[in-house]
Amino acid sequence: MINLKVVSPQKVIFEKEVEMAVLPGAEGDFAAMPNHSPFISSLRPGQMAIMSSNKVDESFFVSGGLVMLKEKVCEVLVDQIEPLSDVNSSNYQQSKTYQELEGNETVLGTFEQVVNNPPYK
Amino acid sequence: MPNLKELKNRISSVKSTRKITSAMKMVAASKLRRAQELAESSRVYADSLSFILSSLAGNTKNSADLPEILTGRENSKISLLIINSSDRGLCGGFNSNLFRNAKKWISDQQGQGKSVKIMTVGKKASSFYKKTDLDIVASFEDLNSNDRQLQVSEEIKNKIMELFENNEIDEVSILFNKFVSAISQEPTYQSLIPLSNDETSEDESESNNAIFEFEPDKNELLEYLVPRNFLTQIYRSVLESSASEHAARMTSMDNATRNAGDMIDRLTLTYNRTRQAFITKELIEIISGAEAV
Repeated sequence: MINLKVVSPQKVIFEKEVEMAVLPGAEGDFAAMPNHSPFISSLRPGQMAIMSSNKVDESFFVSGGLVMLKEKVCEVLVDQIEPLSDVNSSNYQQSKTYQELEGNETVLGTFEQVVNNPPYK
Repeated sequence: MPNLKELKNRISSVKSTRKITSAMKMVAASKLRRAQELAESSRVYADSLSFILSSLAGNTKNSADLPEILTGRENSKISLLIINSSDRGLCGGFNSNLFRNAKKWISDQQGQGKSVKIMTVGKKASSFYKKTDLDIVASFEDLNSNDRQLQVSEEIKNKIMELFENNEIDEVSILFNKFVSAISQEPTYQSLIPLSNDETSEDESESNNAIFEFEPDKNELLEYLVPRNFLTQIYRSVLESSASEHAARMTSMDNATRNAGDMIDRLTLTYNRTRQAFITKELIEIISGAEAV
């Protein structure tokens, strides 16, 4: 089990023990599991999934941020995080990362691409 | 001899002042609790971020590889000071302490041959520095909600990045009242450019034994991290300052309420004495009138 800690600038959003978390890294998705080598990456907007025994327990939309992986700790610093079901194309376009990139959808991917492209297969 | 009617009016006016100050104290106390919680819960993010930044910077052996915005410019000539004041008054020495401190800092900088620019946060600072001949680059007001605080921090960050890139400033420091406890707040400076590394030294031992892989490469990551770090540091100082403001208001309103109580006691005593004196005087008049008959 790995300790997944999701933090926004305002507060700790949640902290729990999970088997595996799949995160949208800037250069490709990766899975955070115990004893991963120490790793720091930025996140692109996309889906974060919490998984156990090969199925998805929960999935979220993250608008970008940073992740730091150490032995048994996975700290995710996010700008904004929403349960995937609460996200629609209008609040996707209002997310901070989207605004910062001025809606450049070739870099970012459209809402459909982000939502319909789960990082897990 | 004081007029009875006048005394009575005086007492009732002090009483209503006391009501106001004690209400303000209650409000400040409840706002303080919320502000304190916010300040504490934002600390986790800020700590993690500065840990990441320090392990990133620590991993780069040659400091010349680091961007200027992190290490600062050599021969810096222009310093920017961001002053975090409050929007409203009636909070004791909160603002005046800050301004006195800033004055000293500014003359120190000028003594070193640097010119100083000012950025003000809160109405009190902007109205105070308008009267001086200092160069005010920007003013921000009305930080009355948490969303607004975040928004202002963002605007400040954008402004300083812009000014730094245009070579209009070489150094940035931020001045705010650090929340020590409900009865004590301490004017504190924090240097944003160059990045102060008092926190990095603590983490050094920890970051050394974990060698991180970075993705994307360090420079790209730094490009992302540096502005984010400014934002977090600024936001944190804004939150600290707001917690301090409420704490300062709470204590000063508590004092005011107590003073008003003392004043009412004194006035009531005078009132009663005066009333008694009138009665005695009237009695004497009646008795001496009766004797004369």
